[in-house]
Amino acid sequence: MRPPARGRGGRGGRFDGGGRGGGGRGFGGGRGGGRGGDRGGRGGRTPRGGRGGRGGRGGMKGGSKVVVEPHKHAGVFIAKAKEDALCTKNMVPGESVYGEKRVSVQNEDGTKVEYRVWNPFRSKLAAAVLGGVDNIWIAPGTRVLYLGAASGTTVSHVSDIVGPNGLVYAVEFSHRSGRDLVNMAKKRTNVIPIIEDARHPARYRMLVGMVDVIFSDVAQPDQARILALNASYFLKNGGHFVISIKANCIDSTMPAEHVFAAEVEKLKADQFKPAEQVTLEPFERDHACVVGGYRMPKKQK
Amino acid sequence: MSETAAPIGLSWAPKLPSFATTSGGGRNDTVPAPSRVQGSLWKPASDLVDGLFVPPRDPRKLNKMARKDVKDTTGKGWFDMPAPTITPELKKDLQILQLRHVMDPKRHFKRAGKSKALPMYFQVGTVVEPASEFFTGRLTKRERKTTLVDEVLSDQYLKSYRMRKVREIQESRTPGGNQKWKNKGKKTFKRAKDRRK
Repeated sequence: MRPPARGRGGRGGRFDGGGRGGGGRGFGGGRGGGRGGDRGGRGGRTPRGGRGGRGGRGGMKGGSKVVVEPHKHAGVFIAKAKEDALCTKNMVPGESVYGEKRVSVQNEDGTKVEYRVWNPFRSKLAAAVLGGVDNIWIAPGTRVLYLGAASGTTVSHVSDIVGPNGLVYAVEFSHRSGRDLVNMAKKRTNVIPIIEDARHPARYRMLVGMVDVIFSDVAQPDQARILALNASYFLKNGGHFVISIKANCIDSTMPAEHVFAAEVEKLKADQFKPAEQVTLEPFERDHACVVGGYRMPKKQK
Repeated sequence: MSETAAPIGLSWAPKLPSFATTSGGGRNDTVPAPSRVQGSLWKPASDLVDGLFVPPRDPRKLNKMARKDVKDTTGKGWFDMPAPTITPELKKDLQILQLRHVMDPKRHFKRAGKSKALPMYFQVGTVVEPASEFFTGRLTKRERKTTLVDEVLSDQYLKSYRMRKVREIQESRTPGGNQKWKNKGKKTFKRAKDRRK
């Protein structure tokens, strides 16, 4: 969906000075660069200085111990130590997709399990989860259509969540980031990469079956229409959608709240039933995530 | 047959009660019962038949046993995360997690909820850093510890804060010696009730 030159790394380094963006919310670990920013972790840390002589300030360093607990949402976990991090269970143990940290666990019966840390600054779904969305509808065993997959960072986590019984169709238009997506999908059996324009679902209709959830992160002015078109093809009745809306991409002249309200109205006109809306505020600026149902069955009286 | 019982609970010869085929063999029919008592060394004899386990007929008992056998996990929503056996070290780790908001004055946490119960389902893991963070985000071998508590205890920054706090509390709690009764000028002429403080 995105122009290839920009990709996802376009807005790196926004949180340079921010440091502990989510400090008060228990997820103080949100450092590690902005969305797609520096791969090398905390590049923006040195100028701050002044906090020397401190062992675990960065927290979650390699080799430290964490306690992994189940999160409210199925398939999602929290790694707790001096600071918290969202995690998903790694489908491909031993592999990290985009240079994220992993948590390796040895069970009592000798089996090994691995979790991957999920950075809310790089993934809008993770930001929505931390923003306290009530239900993401993506759970183990569900089938998900992911529009705007980009390099597949979030897709890899969605693939972790749905697990070996679920399925993720990842649609991305840009060939450049599609290459990373395909490479990621090679190792994950439940991801089907589709390098196509999400505006024309007819072109990939033979690849995609009926899905339970559509996640849309296309950041286009007509994203409501794109979502409606794909939903009419692939989303089951009573299925759900999760759409992330970037106000700037739709209308940069209006205030963000008006843009969100207008988008929700558009969705309502297309048989969607938005149930909740959260802003992704500490992680993304002027973004909202809307969750709801599609062609919901009438309630029995 | 029943008199020659195996030394331990297993023997392949079926020890069925001999049918009273022979006429007038009424005395021998009661024999099989003591054989069971002899045969089992490691299990209450009532559960074993011929030294082998036979599930009980009663469905209620059977269900109870099945429930005991099922491994305690979170279920398939979280990929069957098992409930570990709580050792003293694990318990200390969980407790330090609950108290982490007092460990560090510069770090703030969302409240985890009112319940003080320890979590049932959890796993203790080790962070594995990506190759790009080899020099920045990695603990050396010496810095690595076996438990979370050890990590907290070995952190120099946390230690100095902890020591300071302990000292402060001690100073405020210790009785003041003779300072209380010294003549401090004007302040001495306070009411007797205030002075006693």
